[in-house]
Order: sequence, then structure tokens, then C-alpha cells
Amino acid sequence: MGRILIVDDTMFMRTLVKNILFSGGHDIVGEAEDGAQAVEMYNKLKPDLVTMDVVMPKMNGIEALKSIRAADPKARVIMCTAVGQEQMVKLAIKNGAKGYIVKPFQAPKVIEEVNNVLNP
Amino acid sequence: MKEVPVKIEVEGSWVVSKIGIGDDRIHIFEPVNKDILLKSIVDLEERKNTLRIETKGTPPPVYKVASVPKVLAALKRIIIMSCTAYRLMAYFMSPAVRGGVLVKDAAWEKGAIAVLKTGIWFVSQQKQICIPLEDVSDIELTKREVNAKKTDVVKIDHVEGGGVSTSYVLCPLTTLQVLYNFLKDSTKEMDMEGNELDPVAAQVSMLVYSGMDSSAIEKMLAISNDELETVFEALLNLGIVEVVRTRREVQLTTKGVRFVTDAAKNP
Repeated sequence: MGRILIVDDTMFMRTLVKNILFSGGHDIVGEAEDGAQAVEMYNKLKPDLVTMDVVMPKMNGIEALKSIRAADPKARVIMCTAVGQEQMVKLAIKNGAKGYIVKPFQAPKVIEEVNNVLNP
Repeated sequence: MKEVPVKIEVEGSWVVSKIGIGDDRIHIFEPVNKDILLKSIVDLEERKNTLRIETKGTPPPVYKVASVPKVLAALKRIIIMSCTAYRLMAYFMSPAVRGGVLVKDAAWEKGAIAVLKTGIWFVSQQKQICIPLEDVSDIELTKREVNAKKTDVVKIDHVEGGGVSTSYVLCPLTTLQVLYNFLKDSTKEMDMEGNELDPVAAQVSMLVYSGMDSSAIEKMLAISNDELETVFEALLNLGIVEVVRTRREVQLTTKGVRFVTDAAKNP
């Protein structure tokens, strides 16, 4: 089971992801509401995995992914975005994202994806 | 005519028979003894190891055929490619997304798309996938990156085994538009205005989609059971949800109180 940092600018989505991952037996070590806060919290908490929204204020998810991976090339980040932004997949994967979740999502599949990334 | 062993449903019972597969027809041997022109077939449904074949007529004659997967695959292929349906050659990716998670080994496959009375069939050399029209939750004409180029595709969201999957169809734009319109028309009874739900009801829908139960929804949205019941009622009336389980709340009877009291005395 992993220690996970959840990054999303809406509390609703953070709460949803938190509930899903908690039900999958994971520990939620932190929540960030923008990319800059995510980078800061990643460096402080060193989680096993990050679920990262793409569209966020201040610093978007792709920029945050780049910063996190620059500081820790082994960082495991799953990108999470809305329907219609699937073109971001390539950019995220190119920048080291380990997985990609499209909203709306279903709990069992999210848990499966997180487990796959944590235990490849 | 190539003959294959099958079981046919006759008056509610399954009987051993054979089907002959020709270029323009299939022949069901005794006891049915019937020639079926492929062009007369208007629908094909698959359930487990059974095919339901519907032909033109009033009422439409229906034949149910069971066999091993290899035989059914051959039958499906010839029926889908020759029956009366809206059919086009295209590339498809099915499923591309499952439960919001991208399917990692998803790839474009060259084949045919056939829209029948009850389902959309994707047929390639390796695959025969059916999406029942009643399981289609959304259809969208959108763009997707294909070979580093933004390309028009039709995106089909569908319910599959309790989860939601997304498939894509790729072909020339004019054909895509025809396919999109055809599918939209076939599933129009599911269309909504988009303003039927208030913000709380929309959030409840999202949480139900994600698999949360009523107890989790109440906690997450900080709403009472009565408030949630009101939202559920509205969603039920719109046909957006269905009841799968009724949760019961109970209180102890005198007998129960006595049992608990006694149990507490004798730990």
C-alpha cells in the first residue's frame, strides 16, 4: 500500500480521489490545490505516488510533473484530467508520467491503476 | 457450403443441429431446415456462447444459435459483413479507456463498423466486439492525436460489465459525420438538456459514477440522508439512476434490548 499525495484544485475531486484511494488501502499523506504547492509538498513528504490534475491555477500539472521529476527522477505520478484533454497524455507521458486517468473515473479502475504503478 | 455443428433453440429447447455457411446465405439443418439470406438479417446479438439472429418479417423471425467460440466467430463475421446494416470500413480502438484509465496496449485496428438494430459491431481480423446501443452513454465527434496529427474521430462511451469504457472510430470526416448522426439518432432517447440537475445532484451523479455508496456520498457532501433521498428521487425520475439496493435502518425491540443488556452482563 502506498503513501499518496493528491493534487487537484477542486476540493470535491480531492475528496473523491481520497475516498477511492483510502478504500483501496492507501494512505493519503497530503493534498495540494495547485502545482506549486504540489512540488513543495512532494519535496517535503516524499510520497510513493502523486495523482496530479492537469489544469490548475498558478502552476499546471504538466509543469509540476516536470519539476517533481527533475528533483526526483524516480517520482511516480499519475495524471488526472477531464474528458477532452486526452491530447495531454502524450505530453505527460513524455515528461515521465506513469499513468493517466480521465475524469469521470470509476473507483476500481483508479485503484487498479495506482496499484499497477506502485507495483509494476 | 461449409457445415458447422451448433445447437438451435426450438420452442424453448436446445437441439443439436448444423449450420451451413454460404456466400449469401446460411442454412439451418433439421429440425429447423431453413435457408436464411444474409441480406434478410437485420440484427445480431451475442450473449455468452449464444447468438440471437433476427431476420426481416412481421413479427421478425428470431433464431438462437449456440456453439463453440470458433464457430460463433465465423458466423458473426459473415453475418456482420453481409447483413442489412449501416456499415463502413474504418479504424477503431476499443476499448481505449476503461473506467477513466487509459488502456495501455490499445491500438488502432483496421476493420469494419456495422450498426445493427441493437448494437454497434467492430470487426477486424482478430476481434469482433459488440457495443449494445442501450449501453451507449455518450457519442461525440471530437479530435484525437493520431500519428502526431489532430484527427477527427467519433468517441463512443459505453457501459461494459458495470464500468464505463470509451472506444474510438476513425475514418474520413464525411463518413464520420454520417456515423455520428446515425448513432446520435439511434440513442436519442438518452439525450438530456444538460440543465436538469442542480449542482448537488450533479455531484451526487459523479460520486455514484465513481462507485460511492449512499453513506460515503452523505459524508463527502456533508448532506443528510433525507437530502440525499430527495436527490436520488430526482435522479430516479429523470431515469439517470436505478435502485440496486435499499439500505435499512433498524432499532432494537424489547427482545433485542434484553439480549444486548444480557450480553453486556456476561462478556
